[in-house]
Amino acid sequence: MSDTPIKKLNFKELASQLLPEGASFDSCLTCGLCSSGCPASGLENMDPRKFIRMAMLGMDEELSKTPWVWMCTQCKRCQHVCPMDIDIAQLVFAARSNWPKELKPSGIVRSCELTRSTSSTSAMGLPPEDFVFVVQDVLEEVRELQPQFKDMVAPMDKKGAFFFVNQNSREPMSEPDEMVPLWKIFNLVGADWTYSSKGWAAENFCMFSGDEEAWHQVIQQRVDAVNELGCRVWLNTECGHSYYTMWNAINRFGMEADFELANLVTYYARWIREGKLPVNADWNTAGLKFTVQDPCQIVRKAYGDEIAEDMRFVTKSLVGEENFIDMQPNRSANYCCGGGGGFLQAGMTDQRRIYGRRKFDQIAATGARYVLTPCHNCHSQMEDIGDHYGGGYHVVHFWTLICLSLGILGENERAYLGPELAALGL
Amino acid sequence: MKQNTRHIDTDLTIIGSGLAGVAASSFALRRNIRTAQAGNTGALAYTTGYFDLLGSLTGGSGASISDPWEGIRRLRESEPLHPLARIAEDDIRASFEEFITFLAECGITYGKPGDRNLDALTPGGTLKKTLSVPATMQAGVDAFARKAQCIIIDFKGLKGFSSRQIVANLKTDWPQLRHERISFPEIDQAEIYPEVLARALEVPANRAKLAEVVKGLATDAEAIGMPAVFGIHAPDRVMADLQDRIGRPIFEIPTMPPSVPGIRLRELFEQVFPQKGLTLIPQQKVVSTDLQANTIQLDLKDNYGPIHISSRAVILATGRFISGGLEAHMERITEPLFGLPVTQPASRDLWYRHQYMDNLGHDVHRAGIEVDEQFRPLDRDGKVVHHGLFGAGILLAHQDWIRGRCGAGIAVATAYKAVQAALSVLQPAAA
Amino acid sequence: MSTQANPRQDNAELKVLETEVLIIGGGLTGAGIMRDLSLRGIRCLLIDKHDLCAGASGGNHGLLHSGARYVANDLRAAVECRQESDILKQLAPQCIENTGALFVGVEDDDPGFGAQFPARCASAGIACEELSPAEARTMEPHLTEKIHTALLLPDATVDPFRLALENVAQAQLSSSSAYRPHTEVLSFRISHGTIDAAICRDNRTGDLLDIRAHQVVNAGGAWAMNIARIAGCSDVNLLYSKGTLLISHDRLTDRVIHRLRPPGDGDILVPGGTVSVLGTTSIRVDELDSIVPTVEEVNTNIREGSAMVPALVHARYIRAFSRVRPLLQPGAEASDREVTRGYALLDHRSQLTNFCTITGGKLTTYRLMAERASDLVAERLSNTVGCKTRELPMQDGEACRWTEPGASPKYWFQANNPDDSILCECEMVPQSAIDEIIKCAPSGGEEMTLEGIALRSRVGKGPCQGSFCGMRIASYLYDRGYYRDKTGLDHMRKFFNERFKGLRPIIWGRQMAQMELSEALHCGLLGLDQANNMDESAE
Ligand SMILES: Cc1cc2nc3c(=O)[nH]c(=O)nc-3n(C[C@H](O)[C@H](O)[C@H](O)COP(=O)(O)OP(=O)(O)OC[C@H]3O[C@@H](n4cnc5c(N)ncnc54)[C@H](O)[C@@H]3O)c2cc1C
Ligand code: SF4
Ligand code: SF4
Repeated sequence: MSDTPIKKLNFKELASQLLPEGASFDSCLTCGLCSSGCPASGLENMDPRKFIRMAMLGMDEELSKTPWVWMCTQCKRCQHVCPMDIDIAQLVFAARSNWPKELKPSGIVRSCELTRSTSSTSAMGLPPEDFVFVVQDVLEEVRELQPQFKDMVAPMDKKGAFFFVNQNSREPMSEPDEMVPLWKIFNLVGADWTYSSKGWAAENFCMFSGDEEAWHQVIQQRVDAVNELGCRVWLNTECGHSYYTMWNAINRFGMEADFELANLVTYYARWIREGKLPVNADWNTAGLKFTVQDPCQIVRKAYGDEIAEDMRFVTKSLVGEENFIDMQPNRSANYCCGGGGGFLQAGMTDQRRIYGRRKFDQIAATGARYVLTPCHNCHSQMEDIGDHYGGGYHVVHFWTLICLSLGILGENERAYLGPELAALGL
Repeated sequence: MKQNTRHIDTDLTIIGSGLAGVAASSFALRRNIRTAQAGNTGALAYTTGYFDLLGSLTGGSGASISDPWEGIRRLRESEPLHPLARIAEDDIRASFEEFITFLAECGITYGKPGDRNLDALTPGGTLKKTLSVPATMQAGVDAFARKAQCIIIDFKGLKGFSSRQIVANLKTDWPQLRHERISFPEIDQAEIYPEVLARALEVPANRAKLAEVVKGLATDAEAIGMPAVFGIHAPDRVMADLQDRIGRPIFEIPTMPPSVPGIRLRELFEQVFPQKGLTLIPQQKVVSTDLQANTIQLDLKDNYGPIHISSRAVILATGRFISGGLEAHMERITEPLFGLPVTQPASRDLWYRHQYMDNLGHDVHRAGIEVDEQFRPLDRDGKVVHHGLFGAGILLAHQDWIRGRCGAGIAVATAYKAVQAALSVLQPAAA
Repeated sequence: MSTQANPRQDNAELKVLETEVLIIGGGLTGAGIMRDLSLRGIRCLLIDKHDLCAGASGGNHGLLHSGARYVANDLRAAVECRQESDILKQLAPQCIENTGALFVGVEDDDPGFGAQFPARCASAGIACEELSPAEARTMEPHLTEKIHTALLLPDATVDPFRLALENVAQAQLSSSSAYRPHTEVLSFRISHGTIDAAICRDNRTGDLLDIRAHQVVNAGGAWAMNIARIAGCSDVNLLYSKGTLLISHDRLTDRVIHRLRPPGDGDILVPGGTVSVLGTTSIRVDELDSIVPTVEEVNTNIREGSAMVPALVHARYIRAFSRVRPLLQPGAEASDREVTRGYALLDHRSQLTNFCTITGGKLTTYRLMAERASDLVAERLSNTVGCKTRELPMQDGEACRWTEPGASPKYWFQANNPDDSILCECEMVPQSAIDEIIKCAPSGGEEMTLEGIALRSRVGKGPCQGSFCGMRIASYLYDRGYYRDKTGLDHMRKFFNERFKGLRPIIWGRQMAQMELSEALHCGLLGLDQANNMDESAE
């Protein structure tokens, strides 16, 4: 084992540097609350308390090399429930950073490399010109086929627009029609928005790969792109880690950003409250049940319960109060689904599904037919575990449901709806 | 990027989310007080879920007592400064009643507190005097009282809970008790946590599988005990369903930490209280304070950034050493947040007696802050520190919550008094 | 509590045991003699009134002296230490960590003392390298900035528990020698200047034993004077010096740190695997039982120690412990530290033909002491095989490996066996370790206490000090059928009581939170404080 090129880190030392006084590993009571509530506990015998104890017992060699660090999604639930507020995810990040690139899960590394391969900062490597083309192409098609949207716009590189809108690459790359509901919403509320040909993409696996420098560079490109267009608000669409990587990096690396960061969920809620998005639940005559998944990256790790409340307000407005069933636990205490932290890209399918089993149970316990979530990783993971464990539920984006409720959801924009909604309101 | 401090303006702020903080919050919400709350719920998650009022008389033989009300009457003589001795019996009863009613509305039912202590089961195979137990544990108390034909089941891989141990320790008193060990259906990890099982049992399909296994074992038992794993957020429902499927009464026995009953209370608080109107800043501690003429200013921080609270009244319910309400230094004990004077033994050598299990208990637990009749903390001269600042919970001096088995009693009753007193400051007319 | 042991001295029948040599005292010296004699083909029985290393052997710094500490006032002891530590480093490497040591002069420590030191070391043959203060601080960042002298010496650390276990294990393998814990000598049956038998009591069952041996060795350490007196010998004269040490949660230095001054309080900091051990104080006492560390001794150690390593003031401590050093009665007036740390072998020839006493000395020279005592015993038995412990490496004994700090998590991690769950979370001791320890226990697992397990492993040595794992292991022992009644609760109670003695003076800071949680569990939840009146209250 000694020939592996993974450097040995001194975790105790790191913990004393990275963690605040009073919440260092030294304060741990070994009570196990963290492990009890960590969805990864048990995966290859790991759990967060073991991580701390091994660090304290000087097992730097083992911790430096253990694949555990790729199974912890850095969701920070352990910290949330720890009476001493001990942050283990920080150390996991440090351990990830320490792995030589060749040994890191190649899927995550490749996503990071692709992100840096074009000025799009797209983890799927979609170049700016292709993005521009796809947007134009889809827009033209909608204008043509859906007459009520014949004047719809999808501005590109519009200087001084209020919103700089980002976009997960999955849509332009493989399901372009999924962008349309979002545009419709912007159109309807009369938002002053723009895409950018540069730095438009949402994903950032560089952070998950533990490559701090790459993470910084990618965010720099995005920040520059926003600054260049002079937008007031960088609007994060339905992608959890996108927000966290940007927000965290700006603080962490002390970047100059003359704009605000906002999440689309906040605006959905605002527009509904202001009457600009006149949604209602009248369409849900069948009383279909819905639940929501709180993405760790925007709830526990960032905004806190405020945005979780907005998500619930939006959901209830869309599906009817009585048709909303909360998952347990929720909001800041929510369980990570197992799609985060790059797990989906890490190639460890079995482990990821075991991790996701707890989320699956939580979804099953609600009895909901649909799960709403403003995060692409949550979305993919919940679909996958649903298929794997036989869930029979569907995972949908908010934009889909908003347009459905408003009666403006096109035929091709329903990829994620179940058969009972496939034709509703067409 | 601008990162703005968020401001919260409120009437009452409760610092601390232990049992005292949670109870205070429930009382405030029922009185429609505009309330904010901050604090890590850590220690709350360690409890068994049993609500003790007074389980033994401290300072003497340490023997357990069966009538807690009589015990409190005796406390008034022997320890007049004990927080429970300073609260009228009617108020204590009312506080429990109100708190338990509130919890039931939120999803966890407790047995109605009576005149006598119950003998509740522990994972060690001992008995514990307590006033009220969650409905999911009631059948165990009853079964013990009747010494009914019973079976205790444990799960392979659940460390620290051995049904053999429970039976071995109780068999002289309870000959009709048997034990069994089973594998929890579909969980094939070697080390399992009660919390994981409890979450699994929220799913009906998993309950069905467990019921199938249990049914086969317990053909002649009048009741079946298991480690506390009957769900997290809807234990009553989970138990009822499981019981239906098994076809006989079942009950839970608390496990050692990290145990489910504590996690239940934590989650109930975190998830349900905000829906009832509480402004909650979950799991964050207040870091600095400033007493002003008409308000108290508090500062804290969450993951998103700084938060500033301006509040007309504050209840300090920050607990003791585990929770950080008190800090023990090499030389002395301090209260870190407001710098309140702490009544304490003269030197560290007097904190603990020489024998761990000494029936007199350890004086360090009696250290704490002093309060007046309105539960307002007092300064060194015995004067009220601030008219809007109140103290509640085990942070208060002159009690040994551990040996007295009175943790929940002090938390709930003092929270009740503190909220009442706060109300009279906030709404002089109403109160 | 029906199993509670009460001596049944009056009506008990004597159980007779026979052996060639009876060794009294399961410290390192006794264990060393057991191995030495066994390797010469002599069958021994080793007994201890508690268990292995219950005395000074289990309550020291774990420092394998290079001899440097004694060069100033006891050159012979210094040379012995050098020779013996070299032998042990070679023959028992599994018990030793070759840390090296820094001797540092700080603030107003007399520079003259440090200046003479290298020459003195040279005359004892001890390698000594002078360092600049800056070099020393690079090697050990926690050292104070106020160093004026720094010397590098070849001291090492040793795990005395493992060493004792290995000695016993090898003795058991190489002859039919046996070890019996919880066995206390009460009296001797003597006729015509010869000990015929030792009358002993099994302290767990209360049973009396009649142990017949050709030779009896008193390796009673600080208790040697008492044992000799029972045998009617008044020529063992000891002074008792109590030393108190404390263990920090963290390992603060890589090397041993000594204060470069005449020996005093709190002047040695020894790394022990994952922790550091600070000590000691020195107080004359006149009795041996009820020795517990006090708040004052703890404060003294920290105050003095922090002059070398300032971080000691804010460190989290997990335990303190005290033991008594037996000091051979000096002729002249001398302070306890100057009284020789040399050893004494007394043959009691004028009174008894088959009894000898070996006491005093140091952990570092235990082998030499064992050799000398064994030579005497062998000669008396006309055995001519000769000592083998100078050359024969210490074998890795079965079940001896669990005492090493940080070792059990390594074994556990490597084995990667998902079914082997961890019972002691702090030190990560898995179920399999407990199984192995029980299997190899002196009584073949018939009777095992939590304390016995803790002695043979890292159980209870971490920050929770046994408060969680004590409960988990007790449950496990119930599951395995070792406990069938309330004995398990009683053992838990005793184990926690015992651990508490070491906690009491160091409870503040983070350990206070830990302790509050422990007591809430043990008393608030389990009601162990009421174990005695539990039965009444259940009515
Ligand atoms: C292992 C264990 C078992 C127990 N079992 C039982 C039982 O079976 N029955 C029973 O009746 N009782 C039991 N108890 C006791 C019971 O839990 C306590 O008596 C009760 O919870 C005390 O409540 P408290 O709110 O006063 O203090 P705590 O619960 O300690 O709460 C104090 C809170 O204040 C917060 N805080 C501290 N500083 C700050 C700050 N600066 N800003 C914001 N917040 C802060 C802390 O994070 C903490 O959440 C048990 C306790 C333990 C530890
Ligand atoms: S919850 Fe916190 S204190 Fe408890 S074991 Fe985990 S890290 Fe340690
Ligand atoms: S960050 Fe999440 S996955 Fe990682 S150890 Fe903590 S709870 Fe487990």
